Amino acid sequence: MYGYMGRILLVDLTAGRLEDIPLSAEYARQYLGGSGLAARYLYDLVDVHADPLGPANPLIFMTGPLVGTRAPSCGRFEVCARSPLTGFWGEGNAGGFWGPALRFAGYDGIIVQGASERPVYLLVREGRAELRDAAHLWGMDTYAVQQAVQQEAGDSSLKVAAIGLAGEKLSPLAVIVNAHGRTAGRGGMGAVMGSKRLKAIAVGGRQSVPLADADRFHRAAKEALAILQEDISSQMLHLGGTAFYVDIGMLEGDVPSRYYTQGQFEGAERLSGAAMADTILRRARTCFGCAVACGRETRLPRFGVDAADGPEYETIASYGTQLLTDDLEGVAYAGHLCNVYGLDTISAGNTIAFVYYLFEQGVVSAQDLDGLEPHWGDIGPAITLTEWMARRQGIGGLLAQGSRAVAEHFGVPELAVHVAGMEVAMHDPRAYTGMALTYATSPRPGCHMQGDMYMLDSGDELPEWGMTAGARDEQSAEKARMAALRQDWRCVTNALIQCHLVHPPLELVLTMLNTAAGWDMDAGELRVCGERIFNLKRLLNLRWGLTPAHDRLPKLLLQPLAEGGAAGVVPNMELLLPAYYATRGWDPSTGGPTPAKRMELDIP
Amino acid sequence: MAHRFPSDAWIKALCAELNASEAYANAAKNWEGDFYFIVEAGGPLEKDVWLYMDLWHGKCREAFEVTDPASKSPEFVMSASYADWKKVVLGELDPIKGLISRRLKLKGNMNKIMRAPQAAKELVACCTKVETEFPA
Repeated sequence: MYGYMGRILLVDLTAGRLEDIPLSAEYARQYLGGSGLAARYLYDLVDVHADPLGPANPLIFMTGPLVGTRAPSCGRFEVCARSPLTGFWGEGNAGGFWGPALRFAGYDGIIVQGASERPVYLLVREGRAELRDAAHLWGMDTYAVQQAVQQEAGDSSLKVAAIGLAGEKLSPLAVIVNAHGRTAGRGGMGAVMGSKRLKAIAVGGRQSVPLADADRFHRAAKEALAILQEDISSQMLHLGGTAFYVDIGMLEGDVPSRYYTQGQFEGAERLSGAAMADTILRRARTCFGCAVACGRETRLPRFGVDAADGPEYETIASYGTQLLTDDLEGVAYAGHLCNVYGLDTISAGNTIAFVYYLFEQGVVSAQDLDGLEPHWGDIGPAITLTEWMARRQGIGGLLAQGSRAVAEHFGVPELAVHVAGMEVAMHDPRAYTGMALTYATSPRPGCHMQGDMYMLDSGDELPEWGMTAGARDEQSAEKARMAALRQDWRCVTNALIQCHLVHPPLELVLTMLNTAAGWDMDAGELRVCGERIFNLKRLLNLRWGLTPAHDRLPKLLLQPLAEGGAAGVVPNMELLLPAYYATRGWDPSTGGPTPAKRMELDIP
Repeated sequence: MAHRFPSDAWIKALCAELNASEAYANAAKNWEGDFYFIVEAGGPLEKDVWLYMDLWHGKCREAFEVTDPASKSPEFVMSASYADWKKVVLGELDPIKGLISRRLKLKGNMNKIMRAPQAAKELVACCTKVETEFPA
C-alpha cells in the first residue's frame, strides 16, 4: 500500500491489549486520512449512548498520506472523538513533529478504546507498542511530561503528545500538547484522553513512507516548497506569526473585541505580530517540513518565563482584544499557562472574557468570583482565573466547564457566545458573513478550522473547484454555496493533513497525493472526498442528537456593531441557512443528507 | 480631466491625490520606502509599463513613468497584469486580497509591509479618486 504505512494500532486500555489492524485501502481512498479517516473508523465503532468521558468513547489519532513526507507543511496529526464539551464531533489538528514520528514508527493512526485503571503512557517505537505505568507522571505539566517520557525511554528523539492538569481533571476545554506548546483538540480531546488515564503517547522510529513514484513526488514537493517560500502569506507569517493578522483583521472588523460587543480596539496594534517582533519575540519556530515557521517563541521576563510558545492570533484575540487589554506580555503569559496546563486558549480565553462581560453587566459580582474584580483592560484576573480553571479551584471549577455552563449557572444562557457549547473562534461573522454559516453548521461547532470563509473572501481562492472570493458582507445563495465548498475543502486539508495557513496550487497537491499513493485522483474526485467527509461527520452528529435547531448563531453575534470595519452588518440566517441546506442537498426536517445525497457520496 | 492608465500623467495624478489626503498622511506617517509598480504587458499593453513612486512619511515625494528600469532601484517592486491593476485602481480588488490570491506580486522588505496595512488601504482609496481612462 503506497502513501500509507498500512497499519493502525488498536489500543484497548481496559484490557491492556495492543493490536495491529490493517488500514482499509477502501477507506483510505474515500476518506484520505486525518479527521476524514478517523470519522470513518468512528462511524463503525461509535456507541451513540456512550458518555464522551466514558470508556466507550474511542479516541483516534490519525495522520494522512502526505504526513512525514517531503510534501511541505504536512507535518501534522488529527485527534478525534465525541466531544465532552458539545456532545458532538470533536477534532483537533496540531503541527509539531508528532504526526510524522508516528508514521516513522510504522503506523498511520492509533485508536484508543476503554480506560485504564491506573495512569499509563503509550510508547510506540520502531513498529512496536507498549503501555507503561505513568502514576509518577500524573500531575505533571505538559512540558515536564514530554521531557520526562523522553528521559525515561532513553530517547530524546521521541515525540510526545501529552495532557496536562486540565485533561487529568476532565475539563472539556482540555487539549493535547506536543512539540512544547503545539496543541490539538478543541472541544476537550485532552479530557477524553484524561478519562482513559492515558497521560501521554510517545512515538518514534526510522521507517519511511512508501511512495508509488518517488521521483515525481519529490519533484512536485520541491516545486511546491519553492512556491510556498515565495508566497507573500508565508513571508508575513514568518515575520509576524499568525498574529500578523491582528492589524489586517482589525481593519475589517474581524477581530472580536470586548466579548464580541465592540468593533474596534485601538490597543490591538500593540498586540500585533509587528509589535511582538519588536518586544517579546525570541525566535520563530517551525513544524516538520514547514516552509513558513509561523511559531513564536517569546520571552516573558515580567513572569519569569525565558521561553514561552506563542502567542498566536487566536490567543491574542481571546485573551487580548476580547478583554480590551494591550498587555502583550500578559496575554502571552496567559497563553503559556494554557499550554502548560493543556487548556484550549480560545475556549479558556473566551470563557474568561464572558466573565468580564458579566461582571460589567452586573450579572456576577466579586463575591461570585472569590474576590476577583475583572475590569476590561486588566489581564491580571484572567491569569488568575486560568490557573484556577486548570486546578478546578473555587470559581475556576465552573469556568473549566466552558461559557455555556457559566451562563446557565448565572441564569443568562442567552448571553454566552457559543455554538452547541463550543466557544466561537476569533473571526467575527459580522465581518465575513460566510463565517456565520461556517460556525452554525461546522461538524465541530463554532469552528474556524472547518471552513475559513474569512480566508476565501480575503483572496485565498481555489479556482479548480470554482471557489472564488466574494464581497465579505454578501448574503446570498452564492455565499452559502461557497461556504459549503470551503468546508469541503477544509475536510480535504484536514484529511491530507495540510496546514491551513499556506498551500501550494491544487495541481501540485494532487500530483503529490497521486505519486505518493499511486492513485489517479483528479480535482473532482478530491472535491467529492471533501463533501463525503463533511457529510459523514454530519451524520455522526445526527446520531448523537444534533438537530437543525443547533444550526444557529448566538444572540450577541446577531447584533450589529456600532463601529469598525463590520459596523452595521448582521448575518441574515433566515436567508443563508435555507440556501445552505439546499446547496448541501440536506433535508430541512432532519438536517441531514437525503438518501439520494448519501447514495451519491457512497456513504453507508 | 481623465488620465490614461498606466502613464506618467496617471502616476503623477495619484501622487497629487496622496498629498491631498489627510487619511493617507495619518496612516502612512511612519512609512519610508519607494516602489516600482510594474503593469505587465498584455491586453492593451504591448510591453511592460514601469511606474516609480517615492513615498515618505505620509507624502509622495515624486512619481513618474520609467523608461529605463535600471535607472532606479526602489525598495519595493509590485507587479501584476494590466487586468488586475485595473481592478485595484477601480477599488474592485483589495491589495491584500490581491497579494494573498497571488494576483499581485510583491518583492521587498515584508517586515515593513506587515506594519502598513492601513496605509495600503488609503493608497488604494486615493487610486480610486484619480479620474482614470483605461485603454480598450
